[in-house]
Amino acid sequence: MESGDEEDVEKHRIHLRPVTLRSAPSVTLHLLPCEVGVNRPAPVGRFFTPAIRQGPDGLEVSFRGRRLRGEEVEVPPGLLGYVMAMEEKSLGKQDFPGGSDSDEQELVEPPEALERDFDRFMGASASFQRFTLWGLETVPGPDAKVRAALTWPSLAQAIHAQVPQD
Amino acid sequence: MARREDCGDGARARQHVFLLPEYLKDASKKMKSGLMFVKLVNPCSGEGALYLFNMCLQQLFEIKVFKEKHHSWFINQSVQSGGLLHFVTPMDPLFLLLHYLIKADKEGKFQPLDQVVVDDMFPNCILLLKLPELEKLLQHVTEGKEIGKKKYYKYSKEKTLKWLEKKVNQTVAALKTNNINVGARVQSTAFFSGHQISSDKEEDYIRYAHGLISDYITKELSDDLCKYLKLPEDPASLPKPPSKKVKLSDEPVEAKEDYTKFNTKDMKTEKKNSKMTAAQKALAKVDKTGMKSIDSFFGAKNKKKVGKT
Repeated sequence: MESGDEEDVEKHRIHLRPVTLRSAPSVTLHLLPCEVGVNRPAPVGRFFTPAIRQGPDGLEVSFRGRRLRGEEVEVPPGLLGYVMAMEEKSLGKQDFPGGSDSDEQELVEPPEALERDFDRFMGASASFQRFTLWGLETVPGPDAKVRAALTWPSLAQAIHAQVPQD
Repeated sequence: MARREDCGDGARARQHVFLLPEYLKDASKKMKSGLMFVKLVNPCSGEGALYLFNMCLQQLFEIKVFKEKHHSWFINQSVQSGGLLHFVTPMDPLFLLLHYLIKADKEGKFQPLDQVVVDDMFPNCILLLKLPELEKLLQHVTEGKEIGKKKYYKYSKEKTLKWLEKKVNQTVAALKTNNINVGARVQSTAFFSGHQISSDKEEDYIRYAHGLISDYITKELSDDLCKYLKLPEDPASLPKPPSKKVKLSDEPVEAKEDYTKFNTKDMKTEKKNSKMTAAQKALAKVDKTGMKSIDSFFGAKNKKKVGKT
């Protein structure tokens, strides 16, 4: 379905390929305290990563003439990090490459067809268990917003846990 | 493989950074399909929001997006603007069912669930009917009747408030175990260390938990719950239109054709704490407003307090 995307959005489903969750290679992630207006390949390994130094209280790097201070942030226990991307529409409803060998195994499929022709597909391209959090001039520290956000899953668990029956 | 790496102008496809429960990876070992993102109603705002279904585990997940201004990702050898972090956490489907039960209650009669959970706007809501133990869940918020073999349900506000109170209580317990500072909206522990942090009162915890739960129910029900919990009216929240506050974390998902925006308005943090002066922080601390929505949990909306006397 090429046209009418705007309305499809309410109705279609984005299928996350389960196979990609188990095959995703690990990735190096940096969360930077600045805006970069584009999404594209960048020579991170050539200019950024080699410039990272271990300072007296954390990591240091110079980026765009500013001094960044960084620290490693672990993904909370029980969670896994993934980088995901949408597949091109043309791929559509077909077996995902790499999933073909698992066809031999007995894979559970939901009893009815959940994938429709106009649905889209998404896959994990990489996984991570930690990332480097950077602050401008200062180490982000325990008050960093993203650290507060990382406690959300344990709170959400309490909000959404079933309550005892009377 | 016909996978295109660019989007015409040399830009790579947008990459999304997610945190998922680890067991979804284990579950994926047995799955060929059955993991899907769909748009369903946000039971608080009535707008659309993105959810994840695992049809094999028969589980629903909500997706919250953490966004802090002026951030971006380096992902291996690429750059991704926005710096968004998506949280996928299990969601109690009863909040969504409740939305439809309350809507259907306008008819004032007992109805079978498949007549209640219908939505022209979000037809994927029928997936909710595939979740397990719905009957057990529905006992918390409905009166039930069985005629022949068929079950009929009717929304019960009384039971719902009881159920929500239990939700509030278990959230309060989690707030305490996680040491979340519920009295102050600004988590500036370093600055206020020692004397300023007063021990948070029980009422503050209840109010905070009420705010979190309110992000999953209608404004009207939230107000009723506030009375039911006997929370004193908060003078600070009176002059403001309260609905606006709840709305903050529940703006519609502006999903355009690529459907990749998710609800980025969620959990958006507007300003950095570090930009505040000590006086502003002190002011912010005094300003206790009524509801703590999920937004406020993820970061204080300092912008609202600055300039307030």
